Amino acid sequence: MTTSAPEPLLALSNVNTFYGQAQVHFDLSITVARGHIVCLLGGNASGKSTTMKIILGLVKPRSGEVTFDGASLIGLSTPQIVRRGIASVPEARRLFADMSVRENILMGAFVRNDRDAVAQDLDRMLTLFPKLGQRLSQRAGSLSGGEQQMVAMARALMSRPRMIVMDEPTMGLSPLYVDRVLELIRAINQEGVSVFMVEQNASLALEIAHEAYVLQTGKIVLSGSARALKDDPRVRDAYLGGSEAA
Amino acid sequence: MAEQLHAMLSLRGLTRRFGGLTAVDAIDLDLARGELISIIGPNGAGKTTLFNLVTGLDRPDAGTVRFEGQDITGLSPERLAAEGIARTFQLGRVFGNLSVMDNVLIGAHTRLRAVKPAVPVIGPLLELGLALLRPSSVKAEEERLREEVRAILARFGERLLPRIDQPAYSLSYANRRRVEIARALALKPRLLLLDEPTAGMNPTETAEMQALVAELKAEGLTILLIEHKLEMVMRLSDRVIVMDEGKKIAEGPGEQVRTDPKVIEAYLGHGLSGAAEQESAA
Amino acid sequence: MSSWLDYTINGLIVGNVYALVAVGLALIFGVSRLINFAQGSIYLVGAYIGWVAVVQLHTPLPLTIIVVAAAAAVVGLIIERFGLRPLQNSVRIAPLLATIGISFVLDQLVMLTFSPNPRALPSQLPDVRFQLGGGTIGPLDLLIAGVGITSALLLFVFLRYSKLGWAVRAASQDRDAAMQMGVDVNRVNQAVFGIAAALGGVSGMLVGMYYNQIDTAMSLQATLKGVVAEVVGGAGNVPGAVIGSLLLGLVESYGVAVFGTSYRNLFAFLLLVVVLVLRPNGLFASARQAPPEPLTGTFIAPSRPVRIPRWALAVAAAGFAILPFFPVSFYVLQTLINAWLLGMLALSLTLVAGTMGQVSLGHAALLAIGAYTSALLSLTLSVPVGLAVIGGGLVSAALGTLLISPSFRLRGHYVSIATLAIGEIVSLVILNWESVTRGPIGISGIPPLSLFGYDLISPTSIYWFSFAVMVVLALLQGRLLGSHLGRSFRAIRDDDIAARAYGLSLNRYKSLAFIFGGFAAGVSGGIAAHLYSYINHETFNTQQSILALTVVILGGLGNVVGAIVGSVALVGLPEVFRIAAEYRILIYGIVLLLLVRFRPQGLLGTI
Repeated sequence: MTTSAPEPLLALSNVNTFYGQAQVHFDLSITVARGHIVCLLGGNASGKSTTMKIILGLVKPRSGEVTFDGASLIGLSTPQIVRRGIASVPEARRLFADMSVRENILMGAFVRNDRDAVAQDLDRMLTLFPKLGQRLSQRAGSLSGGEQQMVAMARALMSRPRMIVMDEPTMGLSPLYVDRVLELIRAINQEGVSVFMVEQNASLALEIAHEAYVLQTGKIVLSGSARALKDDPRVRDAYLGGSEAA
Repeated sequence: MAEQLHAMLSLRGLTRRFGGLTAVDAIDLDLARGELISIIGPNGAGKTTLFNLVTGLDRPDAGTVRFEGQDITGLSPERLAAEGIARTFQLGRVFGNLSVMDNVLIGAHTRLRAVKPAVPVIGPLLELGLALLRPSSVKAEEERLREEVRAILARFGERLLPRIDQPAYSLSYANRRRVEIARALALKPRLLLLDEPTAGMNPTETAEMQALVAELKAEGLTILLIEHKLEMVMRLSDRVIVMDEGKKIAEGPGEQVRTDPKVIEAYLGHGLSGAAEQESAA
Repeated sequence: MSSWLDYTINGLIVGNVYALVAVGLALIFGVSRLINFAQGSIYLVGAYIGWVAVVQLHTPLPLTIIVVAAAAAVVGLIIERFGLRPLQNSVRIAPLLATIGISFVLDQLVMLTFSPNPRALPSQLPDVRFQLGGGTIGPLDLLIAGVGITSALLLFVFLRYSKLGWAVRAASQDRDAAMQMGVDVNRVNQAVFGIAAALGGVSGMLVGMYYNQIDTAMSLQATLKGVVAEVVGGAGNVPGAVIGSLLLGLVESYGVAVFGTSYRNLFAFLLLVVVLVLRPNGLFASARQAPPEPLTGTFIAPSRPVRIPRWALAVAAAGFAILPFFPVSFYVLQTLINAWLLGMLALSLTLVAGTMGQVSLGHAALLAIGAYTSALLSLTLSVPVGLAVIGGGLVSAALGTLLISPSFRLRGHYVSIATLAIGEIVSLVILNWESVTRGPIGISGIPPLSLFGYDLISPTSIYWFSFAVMVVLALLQGRLLGSHLGRSFRAIRDDDIAARAYGLSLNRYKSLAFIFGGFAAGVSGGIAAHLYSYINHETFNTQQSILALTVVILGGLGNVVGAIVGSVALVGLPEVFRIAAEYRILIYGIVLLLLVRFRPQGLLGTI
């Protein structure tokens, strides 16, 4: 299925990554169109999280190109990449556990210097995530998993990013929060922020994504519009079973 | 239930908290001899923590673990290994600088005669003496174990045997997982805990692994399996336990669990509920 | 009662000084998960810069403090930039070894510049005492308290209200997440090393003024005290480090009040060992945290060892065995005897640090135990020297293992701290247990080496004897490594959690490694005692521990042949190049740094 995709905001092309002698990515190519939600599906140890790390500059590929808004990200440090407009919601939230919720959210604005606007954005986050209002002075580590996810998303939004990358945003959350997180991702996207998310939960991700890729042992085995993939039995086979289900 | 009477492993109210998070929440489980139970659930549901509690790498805040009728709650992992409980790790914890052969030989550690005497001071000193003097009985035992390791490695076809002398750090991810399983088998376990043995494997490799686990089960081994690949779970398991947020939300034969609305909600997700129903109907 | 108040005041003042060192260590540990063994060297540098400022430049006190803080901060920045930043992606053992090397280089540079003799460092403050309750307090006490409290306040404001301070806190809680917020971790590291060094330098200066004396031995003591305070408070915990420091100051002060001055350090190190055993995460850490999941093999770099064929080793051994038949000078034999003695120590350490992964910094203590045992057995009980040396090995094996056993539960840096402290405890016990060890006087008139009634006095016979003993120990160790024990040791080193899951008890196998290693080191110490004929509590010092560690890294961790090659190289090359004795430690430190940076697997590779 061909969607008239806008120009790509993020593009990985022919990325090969190694941990020591073990190859993690094989000629990985992924594009995220401006304004889209793109989802990378795959099982544990398929190389999903490493893809996130490549985009954020936490891991360097051995070969291949990564561009954001037309400019290469290769060789840039993580802070430099963040300053280009990519924010992240890391796997398992990774909040600063001993800092307050307020400090955590404000850490998201670390790259900004416009104090007044940051204060306004903090208020905006509290309307977006009303529950956090009562928790502002609490230690972030004392929140429940769902609340932590809210903080992590608010923190990412505080840098006013053009794109957010999310590593398993629904991991370990109760169904109630899963729905809430998905709604929020959609809302964030509707404000013009592109989203690249890594997920294990295919059906959930395909509900909100525009395009999706399926990663298996470091190779893209399927890709296309989410609508097309949703009904494709190969998605389930590819990463849930792999055996030839009758 | 009949299983409860001769349960090899039985967990009662097992609970583990980390700060505000209850990683494992009052889990009950009975595993009969020769049975294979799969534990499924989303990442972060507490499956690996449960394994850590059973194998002694972590201690529960509440609840008990009984193995072959004995209370083993809070015993050290080395004690439990000697009791015949072997496990693999999700991240593939091989000994990076040891050869494949040595990695698997470590699995047989608790079976070495030199290791057996548990007398304090004297036991270790005897062990040191045997290691230095290496009488023919020790040499013969070592040679026998090496043969055994080769036989175990042969179960993986040509995946590991040609790399038997290579250090584990040079292996691919899938091969590390295989080394882990070989190491667990070398312990001659009474109970085997497999933590996502097919993570990072492609369909062919997954099918091989599935065949191997089926073989082990057919040989009578009692197995607790964490796995995400549902096809494999459905084919191998006698029963499936579904965990979410630390709690057991469903338990039963695979087909029954697969159609349980709670499970579909928590694990398979909304979108797949239709698909799952279709499949179970088919 | 008045004296108790005095002791309390003294304890708190000294605690303030420790806090200045410990807070820096805590900041660095928080951000880098690294215990900076060079912190004491910066303290030393601070003291000597203070001396230059006060005595040579006649600066007024406020200016002196600023000069010292600034100069020390520059040293800290240099260490971070050139010593540690290049190792960012190395295995965890690398920065640990690097800070040890940096510490030796800095200490030696100070010693070479200012000579090892103590100097007076006047405080420039009036010598008056004020009555306070039942005790007295002087202007210097107030200055130290003032500097301590001011620094704590400044640090609090920095961490709480400045952007960089937020970055430091965020990075210390989750480095990767902080980077993903745009925090430049290199800048954070710089800031932290700069602050730590400034505080450490000022602390050194204040202590110099407090005792009106500075010398190069201050460095190791400061590192140890700072580390004790930091670990007591919980590694990486800044407020904890302050409380730990005050607690340490008070414990020492009351200990001195009850038992006398020479027991001061003993209390510090005993406090450390007790805390490490009972609460390894410090007094204020939450008791139970999620078990860590380290990736495998990240402590020691993977490498393929160089395989040397057996015949080549046999030829080399035969060559060294027949060496005395050739017209070689006494000097060459003497040098090689030193190499063989060091080789035995290196064999011991390469087993413990390399094969077992327990980087011991107190290994000289095993030499000392062996030496004292052998000397006392032959002197007081008239045991034949040959048997006495073996006795030294056995006692060193047993006692050493027993002493080090509290550290068996620890990992990585903590093992190094614990062994360093245990080494100091041994030397303090030797100093204080006068009825047995003859205290500071030492033991003289130790009989020469003898075997079956024949004295070994000629250099040739000593050469053969020491060479033979070393070869036997090396062969035994090779045999050990080839057995199931070698495999078990290395498995525990690579991943102790997986090892435990397969039935390997850490206590049992770490004990066995220390028993075997302790025997080799004890025999080396025993032989040395009979060669020197005089030993005291300072004969076997930390420098020897570090020298042995350098040898082990040079040869390749766990590598038996490497340990011997490394010993010959490090003992022999300075002789070949006729490097003056005072420069040798400096060279060893530089060699260690270069190895860690450019050839971490050593000459012959890690096994």
